[in-house]
Amino acid sequence: MKIQLLKNKLTGLIIPLVLYVAWDLLSRYELVPSTLMPPPKVLFETWWVMQSSGELLLNMKMSLLRVGAGFLVGASSGFLLGTAMGLWKPVEQYLNPVFNFFRQVPVVAWIPFLLLWLGIDEWFKIVFISCGAFIPMTLKTYDGIKNVPASYLEVVRVFEYGWFRLLRTVIVPSALPSIFTGLRLSLSEAWMLVIGAELVAAGEGIGNVMVIARRLFQTDVVLVGVIVIAITGFAMDRLLGLLETRFLGWHRTQNAQ
Amino acid sequence: MERLGTLEVKNLSKKFRSRNDELTVLNDINLTVQPGEFISIIGSSGCGKTTFLRLVVGLEKGYEGEILLDGQRLNGPSLKRGVVFQDHRLLPWLSIEKNVGMGLKDAKSDESRKAIQEHLELVGLKGFEKHYPHQLSGGMSQRAAIARALVNRPGILLLDEPLGALDALTRMYMHQELERIWKQEKITMIMITHDVDEAIVLSDKIVVMSSRPGTIKKIIPVPLARPRDRASYDFVKIKEEVLEEFQLHTEHPFTYTI
Ligand SMILES: Nc1ncnc2c1ncn2[C@@H]1O[C@H](COP(=O)(O)OP(=O)(O)O)[C@@H](O)[C@H]1O
Ligand SMILES: [Mg+2]
Repeated sequence: MKIQLLKNKLTGLIIPLVLYVAWDLLSRYELVPSTLMPPPKVLFETWWVMQSSGELLLNMKMSLLRVGAGFLVGASSGFLLGTAMGLWKPVEQYLNPVFNFFRQVPVVAWIPFLLLWLGIDEWFKIVFISCGAFIPMTLKTYDGIKNVPASYLEVVRVFEYGWFRLLRTVIVPSALPSIFTGLRLSLSEAWMLVIGAELVAAGEGIGNVMVIARRLFQTDVVLVGVIVIAITGFAMDRLLGLLETRFLGWHRTQNAQ
Repeated sequence: MERLGTLEVKNLSKKFRSRNDELTVLNDINLTVQPGEFISIIGSSGCGKTTFLRLVVGLEKGYEGEILLDGQRLNGPSLKRGVVFQDHRLLPWLSIEKNVGMGLKDAKSDESRKAIQEHLELVGLKGFEKHYPHQLSGGMSQRAAIARALVNRPGILLLDEPLGALDALTRMYMHQELERIWKQEKITMIMITHDVDEAIVLSDKIVVMSSRPGTIKKIIPVPLARPRDRASYDFVKIKEEVLEEFQLHTEHPFTYTI
């Protein structure tokens, strides 16, 4: 059982490993110019320099702070709107069409407008990230509540539950898997958008490091940025995944059947 | 505590309306169920058995006629009428113990804990308190659902093909269990079934329904002593009587269930 699990995990590492070797060979024998694709060894060295100088940490901290703020604002307001639309018909009738209309606009399409209104400072970035995080969270919360099986609701109608007990016993647990998916989508959206925002508007942050590096033709720094972004995003998603397993054990085991 | 109630159904009809269509599902149903009786409703698929049950539970609105409990018109679902749905409908995120406690006001009080324990014992699920529904077999889930429906001591228990999904052996075992629970709890039970044997083993009266629209074709009393012997002459006679209603005249009544 344990060995099988390990095997499954290791299988996922095969292709990255092959890519790594291919990359190493390509750059080592200069099949691709090293200015465009520096060898892995150089990247490690670059990473080490950035790491030990504190440059990487400082910029990561900025980016993560923005993600944190944007995610917090966006996901919590998304949760509130999704819940309100899911639970109250009038709210749904007033707001759902508007929400559906605006969510058709890709968040990046708001950039010019937001820049005009908010300039290129922190406010722009945080509002931008919030908008992105807001949408999947709203959708998934709303979905989760709307899809509470009618059969379960009938069971509690027979038991004459008040609204609070109904919420606690049936609606919240039933919607929680969907809400968790919303959180994960929302966080990964926030992480993508922070980089986007930093690429557009100057300031500290991992995206900005990459913009400057591109101007100086430091491909190695750009690639270190890409890899750090990937690893951070992956780690954040795993973290939420672990929380999900912790709180929604019943869901996973049930679905595994 | 007075738990039992007389259920009277008078001239009950139910129509489902879709946009341009009207479907009469039940037509002029008349039935009186005495406190403590065990009634089976038997009839082919789609004849309106579930609809009837849902009306009595109070989950379905908009009907003609009257459904009276001790002379009072029904007004929505109530703790006084327990129900076991065809699919057990245990909440997958609650342990069996918590599922069974769903019908209690304060599931944490000592009194409630005791009631939960008693009912788990009643359905033979002692030791499975902390399990989750997906860890139980179909029969165990149905038994948990029965415990859940009984725990707040309703006067009437309505069961919608509770054993339909079980294999023959488990089903026979469950017949004994249901009979024992019924006797012990002194409760009125109304059970929908497809299985003629099951109906005869358990019921005081068998309500045979015909379809389109659903009406009561015949009410057949089962005046046999309990526990009932499926091979006895009287049992087989009653079985023939029931099967006759479905035009299944046969010399080998043993081989048929509906
Ligand atoms: N909510 C509903 N709306 C429309 N038609 C329904 C509804 N519920 C049941 N019916 C119809 O009523 C008939 C009887 O259904 P049901 O009571 O479930 O039958 P049974 O339980 O005897 O198999 C069926 O033809 C079914 O399609
Ligand atoms: Mg049915």
